[in-house]
Amino acid sequence: MKALLYSVVIVGIVPVQSVLLPHLTLWGVKPDFGVVAVCLIGLINGELDGLLVGVAVGWALSLFSAQDVLTGAMLKGGLGLVAGLAGRQMVYLSPLVLVLGLLVVSCLVGLVTPVVLKLSPQQDLWWAIWNVALPQACLDAVIGGAIYWLMWSQFNIEQLMSESRM
Amino acid sequence: MWMVNLRVTSNARRVALVLAVVLILGFLLLPGQLQSVFQGVGGPLGWIISWPLSAVAGVHDRIAGVWGGYVALQGIEDENRQLKRELELLKEQNGQLRESAAATERLATLLEFKRQALPTLIAAQVIGRDTGNWYKTIIVDKGASDGILPDQGVITPAGVVGRVVKTTASTAVVLLVTDPNNAIAGLIQRTRDEGIVEGTTQGQARLKYIPLLSGARPGDRVVTSGLVEGFPRGLAIGTITRIDKEEEALFQSAELTPEVDPNRIEEVLVIQSSLVPAEKERLSMPRPKP
Repeated sequence: MKALLYSVVIVGIVPVQSVLLPHLTLWGVKPDFGVVAVCLIGLINGELDGLLVGVAVGWALSLFSAQDVLTGAMLKGGLGLVAGLAGRQMVYLSPLVLVLGLLVVSCLVGLVTPVVLKLSPQQDLWWAIWNVALPQACLDAVIGGAIYWLMWSQFNIEQLMSESRM
Repeated sequence: MWMVNLRVTSNARRVALVLAVVLILGFLLLPGQLQSVFQGVGGPLGWIISWPLSAVAGVHDRIAGVWGGYVALQGIEDENRQLKRELELLKEQNGQLRESAAATERLATLLEFKRQALPTLIAAQVIGRDTGNWYKTIIVDKGASDGILPDQGVITPAGVVGRVVKTTASTAVVLLVTDPNNAIAGLIQRTRDEGIVEGTTQGQARLKYIPLLSGARPGDRVVTSGLVEGFPRGLAIGTITRIDKEEEALFQSAELTPEVDPNRIEEVLVIQSSLVPAEKERLSMPRPKP
């Protein structure tokens, strides 16, 4: 069941990100469902799942972007691993804490990405913060918070988290 | 039971950490090799993903078509589309005529006139946009199996769209002319001054390295110079809207409005670069006449 869910996420994230999300932009910036999905999977299902799904999601997304494949896979994989390690330290995670956490994490990823990708000199760090990282982090936090809140109200997240850690 | 569970958790953590270390080491020590492995193995993954991508794009286009055609005033939409198509064709014809006139004048003085072969074009449909926010790209529904390769030029009848940067079997990613990471050799049609066209972060383009003595002015058209692989000479890139001349600078630059609005592209033509003469071929010594 888990493998099927992960496959759907990996295969489905590209159409969502490239066809549907361009209609849902904030100042021309769209949310990164990859960041949201990988963080949630890492937090709930642990670091191994976070790492593997992160690598696969980053890889799939970069195949349909000008971004180089390795960097995409490494960034998302690292994010999943960190989310998994962070989730292990938490007993209770409220939607508000998750929103704040996603905001910070997405911002950090947004700051690291232009440096790793070696973008054009026009796209400097200041430009990246104000024009991509911050709007994207806000959208990621809101969407991630909404998904987590839905899961939180429907399922027993704490039980899922502790089961995955066993 | 508790002991067993703990062992499983510990194993998972260990496996995750080992995998992460292997990936990081690979990323640091063998980036080129790992990149090609990921790109190569990504072929089947890209092929699998291209199916739902095409399906979602098809549904999206249908909904957009129904919305545009019926809900948002059918007659006006059709008429507008027809007029835009005609305008694009006329612009293209105008550009070609200007270019022909300039070329005829110039080439009439030369002893040898080598006619440029028209490249083969592959029509493709836009099915998506970049999956991230860092690059301005479009995804088209033709890929490596249709003969599309990285670095091939992409155009519409109105002008240059961009350049292919990545392909899977059935899709290709095109970096738009308005992306700051793209660079195309350009030529001011009236003054014949050459430069490099780069995208800007504002979604426009900029012609750089124009000679200081150039008489370029707003309203001048910029076309491809044919000096880089992928684009033949004379394809419209944009129109100059502003000239920037800084004191003590070695060159001047110009802001361009691209001929093609990247947000409204639906179909494109990919130029098969094998038929476009490469820089080496153009610059080589002319063959002696028999």
